[in-house]
Amino acid sequence: MPEQLWFTAILNHLFAAQLTALLRAVHVEPQFPEAPITNGVAMEFLVFLFLVALFAMARSRLSVEKPGALQHTFEGLHGFIQGQSEEMMGHGSAEFTPFLLVLMLFILICNLIGVIPGFESPTALPVVPLGCAICAFVYYQTQGFKHHGVAYLKHFMGPMWWLAIIMIPIEIISHFARMLSLTIRLFANMYAGDMVTLVFFSLVPVGVPVIFLLLHVGVSLLQAYIFVLLTTVYLAGAVAEEH
Amino acid sequence: MRKLSYFFMAMSFLCFAMPALAQGGEAYATNWVAITAGFSMAIASAVCGLAQGRATAAAAEAMARNPAARPGIQFALILGLALIESLALYTLVIIFAKVVR
Repeated sequence: MPEQLWFTAILNHLFAAQLTALLRAVHVEPQFPEAPITNGVAMEFLVFLFLVALFAMARSRLSVEKPGALQHTFEGLHGFIQGQSEEMMGHGSAEFTPFLLVLMLFILICNLIGVIPGFESPTALPVVPLGCAICAFVYYQTQGFKHHGVAYLKHFMGPMWWLAIIMIPIEIISHFARMLSLTIRLFANMYAGDMVTLVFFSLVPVGVPVIFLLLHVGVSLLQAYIFVLLTTVYLAGAVAEEH
Repeated sequence: MRKLSYFFMAMSFLCFAMPALAQGGEAYATNWVAITAGFSMAIASAVCGLAQGRATAAAAEAMARNPAARPGIQFALILGLALIESLALYTLVIIFAKVVR
């Protein structure tokens, strides 16, 4: 039996049998058959439920004459992300705002949930930032193909046709390195924040770890913003119109 | 006579290598991974600190010269700081991958 958070224990208690049967049907043997749901998956699912509830609540209270606090917050966030993508891409950036907004809220809440005792940040495990980075990568590549068609591949060939032979491997490697750097940046910041808090907790249990938790909150906000900012920069590069 | 004394001096130098044949202490093994981890993280953090200092200094000077350009400069500063920080974090990730294993 692995060490589980209380939410993971509840989910495993309810769904372990069906999930293990489902996994075995696709020839995947879970490491602990009585607890196929890991902490990371359970926390991500919790963040997903929380965000769906938040959006449903905001949607049901939308009003033009008397907007409430929740509507103001969402309008502020939406305007912030749309203004930033307009700065980088010019007009036509409004269709990317939903994806970027949800990505930012998901990463932000995933980072912050670790501060509450009894929960852990799913982004402190290496696979969750990898998932977010893969989503961002697939998104901007498909947007590039959608906007340019097959001519998107000309982006990889560099400025002149005879440079294409060396430019193509360099461009492919640099595109994959973007995914790697997004993943490692988010994971290392969250993991290092946890480690530093633990180290100081082992030295001085009272008072000092609170400073590091506050630092961790600041770093969570900044890293979520940086992830979305870099995704916007890559998107701008993919859908750019050659003048 | 001088050649003989040189010969004996050379022979005596060869005896300095004797401890290499002695029984090495089994209970004493230098933990090179920990030492290297400490040095590499120190170097990475030091160079990261220098780079971020230069970036911040340039941004502060630019904001002082042209306060109206503040949003653009602030944006470039945050982006640059995060990218430099991530380079020091790559070192930390390698350390965790090697020290934990």
